[in-house]
Amino acid sequence: MLLAERVWNRLRDDRAGMVGLAIVGLFLAVSLAVWLGLAGQGWSAADGGRWEPAGPRHWFGTNVLGQDIFQRAVYSVRTAFEIGLAVALLSTALGAVLGALAGWYSHGWVDGAVVWLKGVLDSIPFYLFVAAVAYALQGQPWAMHVAMIATFWTTTGRLVRAEVMKLKTREFVLAARSIGLPGPLILARHVLPNTLHILLVQATIAFVAAIKTEVILSFLGLGVQDGVSWGLMLAESTQEVLAGHFNNFLAASLMLFALLMGFNLLADALQDAFDPRQGAQ
Amino acid sequence: MLRLGRQTLTAVDGISFDMRPGEVLALVGESGCGKTKTAEALMGLIPPALGAVRAKRIDLAGRNLATLAEPALRRIRGREISMVFQEPLTALDPVFRVGRQLAAVFRRHRRLGRAEAREASIDMLRLVGIADAGRVLERYPHELSGGMRQRVIIAMAMACRPRVLIADEPTTALDVTTQAQVLEQLTTLARDFGTAILLITHDLGIVAQYADRALVMRRGRIVEDTLVGALFREPGHPYSAELLRATVVVALPPEAGAASGDMAGTR
Repeated sequence: MLLAERVWNRLRDDRAGMVGLAIVGLFLAVSLAVWLGLAGQGWSAADGGRWEPAGPRHWFGTNVLGQDIFQRAVYSVRTAFEIGLAVALLSTALGAVLGALAGWYSHGWVDGAVVWLKGVLDSIPFYLFVAAVAYALQGQPWAMHVAMIATFWTTTGRLVRAEVMKLKTREFVLAARSIGLPGPLILARHVLPNTLHILLVQATIAFVAAIKTEVILSFLGLGVQDGVSWGLMLAESTQEVLAGHFNNFLAASLMLFALLMGFNLLADALQDAFDPRQGAQ
Repeated sequence: MLRLGRQTLTAVDGISFDMRPGEVLALVGESGCGKTKTAEALMGLIPPALGAVRAKRIDLAGRNLATLAEPALRRIRGREISMVFQEPLTALDPVFRVGRQLAAVFRRHRRLGRAEAREASIDMLRLVGIADAGRVLERYPHELSGGMRQRVIIAMAMACRPRVLIADEPTTALDVTTQAQVLEQLTTLARDFGTAILLITHDLGIVAQYADRALVMRRGRIVEDTLVGALFREPGHPYSAELLRATVVVALPPEAGAASGDMAGTR
């Protein structure tokens, strides 16, 4: 039976995991709809009164500028997915490559350099570092992405390095060498594919972390510059909450909460489903 | 020579032997005497970080493997000298179908295309006694039995009709019936191809049945190099004699009834 098939079968029996998958699927559909121009397009139009309550014209009321809060919250799903996907894919890929090289050439200079870099990055308080990079690259739309990718790869890198060190002593690697395959090819073709379970789980974790970090950075004014995100909505709402208007705050936090919850449930279930020690069939 | 931290250990020292085409040469000895290290040294598979080979000559068809660089060795490995491993499950990559791994040998060393490599794989599997080769190619390693897996490994090792095959305890992980079949097929195939087999084992029964000549190894040195018949008749070195005595000999009593009576008595 294929690995994917086995994982899917185990995932299907995990109720919490399936709920998570459904939530993530729903959000993904919303983000695709926004991307295709089917929803949330009126996010910047100020066509309402200030702080209108929820009603048929503005489902979740309006903000201080008279913009539709529901539309803004929906449009922010796209922002969240864009950042989450980009950071999850690139940081996991970077971690996989650097971790694999370090593990394969362990105790050599490549390994030394990677481990040193990882140590340096890990020793700087995370939000401080991300804020510093985002601040240094201010004005660049990719500043926030670069900052997150530069730090998120370290965990993946450490896990992949350990796994590669373990895998390279396995007989199939020796067997691959005994039929004349060169080392880098064995690493790419036979060792890295065996770390796929780590990469998948790490990517879902990085996705969640990226969305969370985006909200914090946007709240601090270092994140999304042009557009809207839950972080920006929360930043707006600090003033509104004092004036007794909670709609902006509620919309952004509830959407964020639902998506993060869904992803966490899914990541947990994936981790269990990939764990070979659980429910051996 | 092996590196252990700052210390070095000479695992194998001063050994010298030769092999003839089609011959089965057994390498026997206790655990840790250097059998596997000898094999890895021959293949050039000891990583520089872990040790070094100081051999003067490893001659194979007019070339000295001891002086060849790694890229040249890679062209020889799998084509002229190849290896069969002890544990057939871990010697195959768990995430790829068997067919792709077997075809890789043909594609790399004989530069065959995808379809041709598949044909060649099927022919090779038939030679090692797998009848429904086409179906086996579609399987993942964990879906095959131990005997089938070892046959696949043997097919990979013999794919390019190598001059030398090193078999490091090839049947230790298999049950006795499968053991006999696999060894029978392996030795027959080697004789047909003119491949010399270096059969590493600690099972003297296997030596008696399949080997032509035997090397007895102890503490990194070869203490005896003799024909198999002679080894069992009159071992030339005290250690060989000791090794022979250490073998469990099950002599069945003439009557089954007496045997069961004995067994009841010992309990």
